[in-house]
Amino acid sequence: MKNINKKISISIIIIASLFTINGCSDEYLENTKVYAEDSESFFNSEADYYNALVAAYDPLQSSFINVLMGEIASNNTLCGGESATDVQGYQQVDDMIHTPVNAQLQNLWSFMYGGVNRAAYIIEFQDKTDFTGKEVIIGEASFLRAYYNFELVKWFGAIPIKPEGRFVVGDEQTVPRAPVAEVYALIEADLQVAVSNLAYTAPQVGRVTKGAAEALLGKVYLYQDKFAEAASTLESVITNGPYTLESDYNKIFESQGENGVGSVFEVQYTDLEGAGFGCLQCSEGNVAVGFQGVRGYDGDLFTSGFSFNVPTQEVVDEFEAGDNRKDVAILDIEAWATATGASYTTGYEHTGFFNRKYIPRKRSATAAGDLNLTNPNNYRAIRFADVLLMAAEANNRKATGNDTKAQLYLNTVRARAFGNSNNDITSSGSNLTAAIYKERRVELVGEGHHFFDLVRTGRGAQISGFTANKNEVFPIPLEEIQFSQGNWAQNQGYN
Amino acid sequence: MGKQITLLFFMLLGFCATAQTTNVKGIVKDAVSGEVLPGVSILVKGTVKGTETDFDGLYSLSNIEKGATLVFRYLGYKQQEVIAINGTLDVSLEYSAEALDEIIVVGYGSQKRKDVTGSVSIVGAETLEALKPIDATTALQGTTAGVAVNLSSGAPGAKANILIRGVSSNTANQPLTIVDGYEGDLNSINPNDIESITVLKDAQAAIYGIKGANGVILVTTKIGKKNKAPTVKYDTYSAVQQTTRKLDYLNATEYALVLNEAYGASGQTLPFTNISQLGVGSDFQEELFNDAFLMNHNISVSGGGENSRYFISASRTQQDGIIAKETSNFIRNNIKLNLGVDISDKLNFSLIANYFTTASEGFSGSVLFNGLNYAPTFGLDEDDENNFLGIELINPLNQLKNTYNENNGSGLEGNFKLVYKPIEGLAITSRLGYKIYNEKGRTFTPIQNYGISKVYNIPQSSVYQFKATSTRVVFETFANYSKTFAEDHNTTFTLGTSVQNDLFDGIYASGINVPNNSYDFAQLNLTDPQNEQRSLNSGFADKRLTSFFGRIQYDYQGKYLFSGLIRRDGSSAFIKEFRFDQFWALTTGWKISEENFLKDNETISFLKLRASYGTLGNEVGNNLYRSLLSGEGTYVFDGALVDGTAQGGLPNPLAQWETAEKLDIGLDINLFDDKVTIVADYFEESRKDLLIQSFPVSGILGTSAPGSGNPTVNAGTSLNTGGELAISYAAIKTEDASLNFAYNVTYVKNEVTDVTGGAFIEGGSFAIGNLPPSRMEVGQPIGYFYGLQTDGLFQNQAAIDAHPSQAGLGAAVTSPGDIRYKDVNADGVIDINDRKRIGKPQADFYMGFNFSGTYKNWDFSAYLYSELGKEIVRNYERFLPNVNKPSYYLGRWTGEGTSNSIPRLTNDATNNKLFSDFFVEDGSFLRLQNVQIGYNIDADTLERIGVSKLRVYTSVNNLFTITDYSGYDPTINGGAIGAGIDYGTYPSARQFILGLNVEF
Repeated sequence: MKNINKKISISIIIIASLFTINGCSDEYLENTKVYAEDSESFFNSEADYYNALVAAYDPLQSSFINVLMGEIASNNTLCGGESATDVQGYQQVDDMIHTPVNAQLQNLWSFMYGGVNRAAYIIEFQDKTDFTGKEVIIGEASFLRAYYNFELVKWFGAIPIKPEGRFVVGDEQTVPRAPVAEVYALIEADLQVAVSNLAYTAPQVGRVTKGAAEALLGKVYLYQDKFAEAASTLESVITNGPYTLESDYNKIFESQGENGVGSVFEVQYTDLEGAGFGCLQCSEGNVAVGFQGVRGYDGDLFTSGFSFNVPTQEVVDEFEAGDNRKDVAILDIEAWATATGASYTTGYEHTGFFNRKYIPRKRSATAAGDLNLTNPNNYRAIRFADVLLMAAEANNRKATGNDTKAQLYLNTVRARAFGNSNNDITSSGSNLTAAIYKERRVELVGEGHHFFDLVRTGRGAQISGFTANKNEVFPIPLEEIQFSQGNWAQNQGYN
Repeated sequence: MGKQITLLFFMLLGFCATAQTTNVKGIVKDAVSGEVLPGVSILVKGTVKGTETDFDGLYSLSNIEKGATLVFRYLGYKQQEVIAINGTLDVSLEYSAEALDEIIVVGYGSQKRKDVTGSVSIVGAETLEALKPIDATTALQGTTAGVAVNLSSGAPGAKANILIRGVSSNTANQPLTIVDGYEGDLNSINPNDIESITVLKDAQAAIYGIKGANGVILVTTKIGKKNKAPTVKYDTYSAVQQTTRKLDYLNATEYALVLNEAYGASGQTLPFTNISQLGVGSDFQEELFNDAFLMNHNISVSGGGENSRYFISASRTQQDGIIAKETSNFIRNNIKLNLGVDISDKLNFSLIANYFTTASEGFSGSVLFNGLNYAPTFGLDEDDENNFLGIELINPLNQLKNTYNENNGSGLEGNFKLVYKPIEGLAITSRLGYKIYNEKGRTFTPIQNYGISKVYNIPQSSVYQFKATSTRVVFETFANYSKTFAEDHNTTFTLGTSVQNDLFDGIYASGINVPNNSYDFAQLNLTDPQNEQRSLNSGFADKRLTSFFGRIQYDYQGKYLFSGLIRRDGSSAFIKEFRFDQFWALTTGWKISEENFLKDNETISFLKLRASYGTLGNEVGNNLYRSLLSGEGTYVFDGALVDGTAQGGLPNPLAQWETAEKLDIGLDINLFDDKVTIVADYFEESRKDLLIQSFPVSGILGTSAPGSGNPTVNAGTSLNTGGELAISYAAIKTEDASLNFAYNVTYVKNEVTDVTGGAFIEGGSFAIGNLPPSRMEVGQPIGYFYGLQTDGLFQNQAAIDAHPSQAGLGAAVTSPGDIRYKDVNADGVIDINDRKRIGKPQADFYMGFNFSGTYKNWDFSAYLYSELGKEIVRNYERFLPNVNKPSYYLGRWTGEGTSNSIPRLTNDATNNKLFSDFFVEDGSFLRLQNVQIGYNIDADTLERIGVSKLRVYTSVNNLFTITDYSGYDPTINGGAIGAGIDYGTYPSARQFILGLNVEF
């Protein structure tokens, strides 16, 4: 019996000791290795702020969709593509028959909010760690948030905003769509931070400058018909900024013209990294460029693409005789093929014209695939010519108009276009306004601005299929309406 | 002190005085064949004293109490009790047909099958031998009630998915697999090494706590018997494999006519002007599929000495793919060692080790998709240079020529175990389970050009290489103590603890510009060191689990059975505050046939009612609470790429494992002397806190930014209710012949009972630009298909005018020959609000029907499997104007009255390609999984050549499938939301097998 007791005792000791080993399980479970950084304990050094800033720039590249779809929405181009069903979202926007179910509008909404949140992440933690030069990073982050929010308000009107930082789960059901004026107030405030924190030259090419912040602020004023503020802000860019017009209009859109003398703000792209259709926003290249290329193209200078966003005869006819910009902006493929022996195939809604500013150029041997999705063409988001034309418009349309200044700025742009000053505009008042509008259209054709210029100046009806009091803005994606659980109402006319 | 010694002395004296001892010896034989049985265990009842029979079936016991009861036990035979009298005592044991005395493992212990109160299914070695699966998982299909096996792909080495009692989770439905006590995997084991597979389907699996919710598969591998001379077995088979199906697609002439019609309808120039020259054109499917070889060798030695048992085996399986056998194959080698040693009569040591290596080559799934859609007017090696078919389709044969990859794995798994039995009834087990798996892979992507702008074009060659190691260590100690109190109260206690650590460590790298654009030079060190696209990455994971568990099993007179069990788990995968939880279960049973009123019933030989209820966990959702800076934030400054730091996927600090509540009520009936066995079960499982991956959230949260992603959220509850019935009938059982039938059927009804934060969750994808086709919604089965409902075709303009406008669907114009959709919500317009349920991916009924028999030297068997009441979405068509089309388009609408189901062909924008029931098909099927016939050479003949058994056989796997489904394989499935969508699945192979079993 004793022996048995002893054995039982030993057994109990063995088991008990094992339980004791296991007993410190809290510590055991806590000591797992992770090898990853936590987002809420970041921003401990200058490098952390810089790295977060780089990431806030990244979504600028996804704004290819704004430029491409924005141009398709206007009366400058037709959607094109392979067939009537190729990218339905674009096709419907082109015909102004889009509904709240539109994968491309959903993308645009989500891509831009991706940018808003990355910029807001820095703003949220702006006071955590101090270092010399922090104001530059905060200034850039403020500019970026304003840039993304401005895109959103242009497309969707009233949008949810959160000045203090990032959106968190649940905000979609509590944060309302702020009225357009409130959104603009936040954008202006952010841009004013950028203007006062930044210098006219950036520490690296591709980063935001004071000139970019002023130009965007001027544009934001113009979109609100605050002409006086727009005029003075834009003129500051003209007078104080280091910008001049690039004399060779063609050079602007070639790779040697990137970040040139007339570039106020430019979205940077490269073809050094590959990309796929699964994540277009992840591409480091300009996706819009491949989409606009000539279908099945084989020949000089250019490479092939998907034949979207094809200019109409009507916009081609807008160019006056002698305008050097026409052959830069528009590729007449038949004429080009005849002249150079290039071959191509035709896609849907083939007009014979292509958006030459942003179609794929021949690529270097180091270019990474998929070549269609990684074209390295920078998007010249704000050009000095655009600033001049906006300044012209602001001076012409402000309460006590200054048409002399307006003419000066307008004719500066025209002089480059024609290579002389024989085509100067001398009209004033509303004739001058019309001339400025027309000049904006041809100078900036293919760059994604025209739809919004039409809408903000009440000329949307020029677009075929346009319904007034509806198509000025696009519908909030249906999914978003559903997520908001009744917090957000749909835009007028899209219910 | 003196008194006590005296007392003890008297006690001993008294004990000695009453005990009259005797010696017995004898031989133990099989009651029918008369063969001697070595290794039979003999125990003196009520003591620890015992012995085993030797090679010749002989045993002897000395100094045992006269009149003591000897208990003779032998696996597969009925236990026998004999009173010991002096001298010789020969015993004949009777083979137990359905082996109710069979001991089955139930997790940290074992039970007699007749005492089990949970719902279990067992697959024995004979089933595995008959089905000859490459992956043992396949042997569960159709043979076990409540278990459904779905192939993810027919590709060599592809893993099969197991579902126990239907889909519950959207994240992980795979059951826990425990091999000889260690957490393993069915597909790394050689099926020939398996003795039996036990499936725990109900709450009884709660002893596995956080890992038990999907059911538990307990695998026992073979080990030799004590005192048995070595048995050598050699098994081999070879097979020719071919596809079970090819799809009907248009030939070149049909294709050209159809295209011309579509172009004509849109007022476009016709693409084909001289159709008469085209003939049938190229058949890319025909070229892709090939007959492929399959081969298996297996050799094993097993036996045992007085104090030891062993089993050693080696095997090799080599399988080529039925598509592109040059670039698609799988090899697995196994070496297995099972060893058990009795160090003393109280201490037993055992070692289980399975070493395996795998090698595989595969190709992209898009090959088959390209094979279907590529136009038959192209030559077999002709590229679509000018983009006639769009940018996304390329020549599948050329695609295969550019496919180079290899994947090699090797692993060692098993456990070391010590069992200590200090006193009668108590066994303390301490074991260390381990699994180390090393994997490496290399993929070479050569420069490729399939025509202008093709998305598959690769301008620079690259090589990708990786190495990864996964390590799992589980240390478990538990005690089982059995005691019978007051004769009638049989009790077993189990108490234990478990500590587990899973580590993963991997390195991934890729390089650009492989010298000579050749696989022979595809090594990282040869690539361009300056290239910016060269990349290096690592991955790491560390997961830990600590657990305590306890169980009480009790029965009264073997009639009334109860058990209660509890497990407490703590997992490092979850946030500190929610890391621990308890899981528990109660089970009960009543062996009615032991009651007096049934005891000697002629018809009912066994009858047991049982029930179980409990909670179990599904450990999914690792590390979701961590908000990591794992996003991509790359931009260009100064013309160069700059990598920033961005947030990764949206975290979910409240993430929890899924919890299941399971109820099972079952009845086990054996009739006519166990000739007929019936197992019937009713079950209910409520799965709470369902984890939904990539839970759609508002875009304002920024989850669309590069490298970010939607969170995984506990967002719902689903309920599975159903029943199972398994019947087996041993129709003939004589010395010369046997005939057995088995049928099982499972009915499962799944219903989502709660969806957090909204009415439904969407998932899956259909074609391009369509809304997600699958939904999880309250009151509906998980992942049901949601789309438009067709109502024939518009035959003429009048019919269109009479119908609500369909312009709201996207295409402005509707023409005769277009699909007419039902105005489901009756609001006078057809738009996306007119969608409704149009199918579901999970079957209502799963059935297996098997029969096997022997006649003299011949044996035969057949296994049928069926799923009824499920739908499949046909999603392998690419909707572009010039791609090839399935031949059902030959029956398209071409004018009033020509068709009321297949719409007209046109290149205009139509609403015909929207997700509707036009693309949903009945996926029910019946498949003859295996049919086999074998012949045993006469024993007399064999004796002369020193062979004890020689069997030759031939069998066919997947001989035929009866189904209305038009795609490759109706067995496809996988997942919950988004399941049942056929993107062009690799079909299962039909295998014609010739094999040989030899035993020495």
